[in-house]
Amino acid sequence: MTFPTTAAAGGPLSMGEHEQQSRAIQRRADRWLIAGTGLMGTLVLGIVGLPVFCRGLYLLRKAQRGGLSVRPTMVTLIGFVIILDAALNSIGWALDLFANHALITRTVFTAWGNLIDAGYFWHYNELWIGGAGAPGEKAWVMVCVLIAFPMRIAAAIAFLQMKRWGHQWLIVTCWFGIIVWMGYIFNMTMYADVRYTAVGFPVIGWWAFNIFYITPFLAIPYLHTVNREIFSD
Amino acid sequence: MSDSTIQTEDSADSLPIGTTSTWARMHKWLKRALYICLFGLVIEGSLTVPVMAVWYGWPTLSLTEICSELMKVRFSNDALECQQPYPLGGPPFGGAPEAAGQRTAKDDWGIQPKPRYERIGFRELVRIHQERIARQSAASAPPNH
Repeated sequence: MTFPTTAAAGGPLSMGEHEQQSRAIQRRADRWLIAGTGLMGTLVLGIVGLPVFCRGLYLLRKAQRGGLSVRPTMVTLIGFVIILDAALNSIGWALDLFANHALITRTVFTAWGNLIDAGYFWHYNELWIGGAGAPGEKAWVMVCVLIAFPMRIAAAIAFLQMKRWGHQWLIVTCWFGIIVWMGYIFNMTMYADVRYTAVGFPVIGWWAFNIFYITPFLAIPYLHTVNREIFSD
Repeated sequence: MSDSTIQTEDSADSLPIGTTSTWARMHKWLKRALYICLFGLVIEGSLTVPVMAVWYGWPTLSLTEICSELMKVRFSNDALECQQPYPLGGPPFGGAPEAAGQRTAKDDWGIQPKPRYERIGFRELVRIHQERIARQSAASAPPNH
């Protein structure tokens, strides 16, 4: 895989040196980006992860300006932000599915439910499987945590590796997101009394919180208009 | 191996790799929106637990007390408490969930259930908790003759 570049300011590098330096700086930046995304994906350590992530972005930008062949910023941003989006959704819903009787889950989720979306308050931990008991909610939780988000994370990783199948499957899994969002919102709307009665900030609270999760919809136009030749098999 | 250099033709506006001029403006705005989403996700994520905790009475109430108070509201039953720690055999390992078999929750049942608990305001759980403690101590205080 080669990218056309301008010659470095200090004098031309040989092809071998150029590739070696590019790969080294890419790996160095990726260590920061991965660590940052990992921390941000825990939700609570997000504010620690953000500067770590930004350091990785800065290293990539510096390398680009220095004429090295590194991954385009947009590819980096889309890949990691989609992974972050999937990780944040997954940590919440994995707790609801597998750790619904931990104190932190019972307290924070029912608090969130009481304030924003009573699907996570109404009859919480009454189902045999525990967790949210609102009609239809468990089905969406399971399909997302077990299927949709793992697929999306795998595709995003391959996309970051500039693989052609990563690009293709990120398109597919981001379009899944239309189904997930619309299905989930339609279900909430059908059972709006359960979801929003006696809630602190009904409807507005949910949208204010969840609007930042539209990243797959921002990725779709880019994925369809990027020159796919930059992704190799 | 002979040295070779790679050079591009300089273009008036150097576009990112993969972006053609047709889509450059759209890609620019998508990138900005992605940065907004990134910062938004991280900041709201970091604030979620602290804001929830403070809104529902922490540190005046402990996390276990907040859990118990919310459970009382949820199932309209002042006798309920959050068992902490919950036995490890609970869900998803097959044991009974904490609200299994409850009968006190107030709902208008039908094809679209409607809950009948009251809305809780900012730190109102603290007031609810303290009023109930006061009521219970008044009720259990020995009568004055």
